[in-house]
Amino acid sequence: MKSLRTQTRLANLFVIPYGMSFVVFIICPIVFAAVLAFTQLDLTSRQHVHFVGFDNFREALKDPYFVQATQVTCLYSVLIVPAFVILSFGLALGLQGMAFGRNTVRGMLFLPGMFNVVVASIIWRWFYDGEFGFFNYLLKREGLTPIHWLGEKTLALPSIVVMSLWWGLGGATIILLAALEQVPIHLYEAAMIDGATSRKLLTKITIPQMRPVLLFIVVTSTIGAFQVFGQTFMMTNGGPDRSTTGLVQLIYDTAFNKYRLGYAASISWLLFFMISVIIIAQALLLRRSID
Amino acid sequence: MKNRGRIVAFVMMLIAIVFLAPAVLMVFTAFKAPDEVLNPSSAIPHHWTVENFARTLKYSEEAPFAQWLLNSLLISTSVTFLVLFVSSMCAFAIARLKIKNGSRILIVIVASMMIPGQLFLIPVYLMLGWFHWLDTPLALIVPATAGGFGVFMLTQFMRAIPPSLEEAALIDGCSLWGVYSQICLPLCTPALATLGIFTFIGSWNDFLGPLVFMDSVRNYTLPVGIALYQSSYYTEYGKTLATSVLGTAPLVIVYAIFQKRIISSMATTGLKD
Repeated sequence: MKSLRTQTRLANLFVIPYGMSFVVFIICPIVFAAVLAFTQLDLTSRQHVHFVGFDNFREALKDPYFVQATQVTCLYSVLIVPAFVILSFGLALGLQGMAFGRNTVRGMLFLPGMFNVVVASIIWRWFYDGEFGFFNYLLKREGLTPIHWLGEKTLALPSIVVMSLWWGLGGATIILLAALEQVPIHLYEAAMIDGATSRKLLTKITIPQMRPVLLFIVVTSTIGAFQVFGQTFMMTNGGPDRSTTGLVQLIYDTAFNKYRLGYAASISWLLFFMISVIIIAQALLLRRSID
Repeated sequence: MKNRGRIVAFVMMLIAIVFLAPAVLMVFTAFKAPDEVLNPSSAIPHHWTVENFARTLKYSEEAPFAQWLLNSLLISTSVTFLVLFVSSMCAFAIARLKIKNGSRILIVIVASMMIPGQLFLIPVYLMLGWFHWLDTPLALIVPATAGGFGVFMLTQFMRAIPPSLEEAALIDGCSLWGVYSQICLPLCTPALATLGIFTFIGSWNDFLGPLVFMDSVRNYTLPVGIALYQSSYYTEYGKTLATSVLGTAPLVIVYAIFQKRIISSMATTGLKD
């Protein structure tokens, strides 16, 4: 490679297009976001833009809307992540156990993942509709009282969880199936000679072998859950009574409906820190369970 | 043992049908007349009608569907080609030309991928305002080229290519640009195709970006257009669903053509550690 390396100066030119984009749209915005978080910048007020130190963060921690949005985000993650991991793992095991038709079913399971969040939400809002919805059509046909799935404070968030599972399970299932196929077959053969039951095979071989991939699914689905926005924006717009207003929805409302950009930036940093803490905690837990 | 595999296969097929049911119901219902949409007696329409589609496609000031479709196509195609071009050049410099501090640069790029997108939303919105790019396609095209995934993925791929072809070309007097465009890129076709498909899908499905950066109705992308317009005919489900079918069709076509590649590259994402 010596002959290639001699042309270093020319070589650097190849980095310039991406490098410029990276500096302008990644580095600058991060620095700028850090400055904004300590700034009062309200597009509606006539106040001058000025530095306010930690005021935005102090305000957030006392703001009942912020506290509630954090609770909603955590509740959503607690509801969806375990279900997501268990169901996608179950589906992957099911796919692996199929005597025929595996590729067709795999393709069908992933198709919802191709849908736009807007379209996926429209379909499910129609399903959940209090009057004309599919679920209530079934209930009414059985002579039961229809339920306002998205209009009840306790039901709205779980209803969105169900829709999100439908939307996202396929991708995780594909990843887990690929990992299942990587588990060395001789491990199973040896255990079977020793007379292991299929439950033992699952708990003593499959799950331990799959641990890194399962962690990958846990981490990515947690990150995704903390950033939930499209579904809640489309299906309930954060309601009823803010019971589905997560942190990203709060950032969006604060920045682009109330035009409090500085305050919204500080909330996005708080969200960033929450996500980081959770990822680090999950990674440490995994490392401990391996040792 | 063999019987068990068959039973599992049937159960999984039932599950797959349940997964597809919402999409199939959407398509069927879009072909129903309004009164049948609200009082369904069966999943399959009694009288098939394209009325919902005709009403969707008819030009109107407040819902220029064809315009949104064109916007989405223009934006997603431009993003895809720009990302391929810019990322492959940077990956070429890091992986093939071994520029100084190349691996350090790559670490910074990969680290930037960990930052959640909302953090960029507000500063980028203000910056696009200064550039006078808000409410123009540029707001959705140019910032999208900064994503690190393409550089990361292509660098990994290019590192596995043996250098002998490129060295031979250089000895024969080929320029660096020639090596990049005539030798490296053709060798990377599979990786470029995968990156291109995922970039296109990602750009097509982007929601928060166009929702925030676009202002006038005729500049919306398809998802944002559908989202904001359907709120005004909330319970006209026939029309809403017809719009959704039309808005999803391009991606389902992409999926039908590239299904194998999409699924096989999804499958490997969890394995790289």
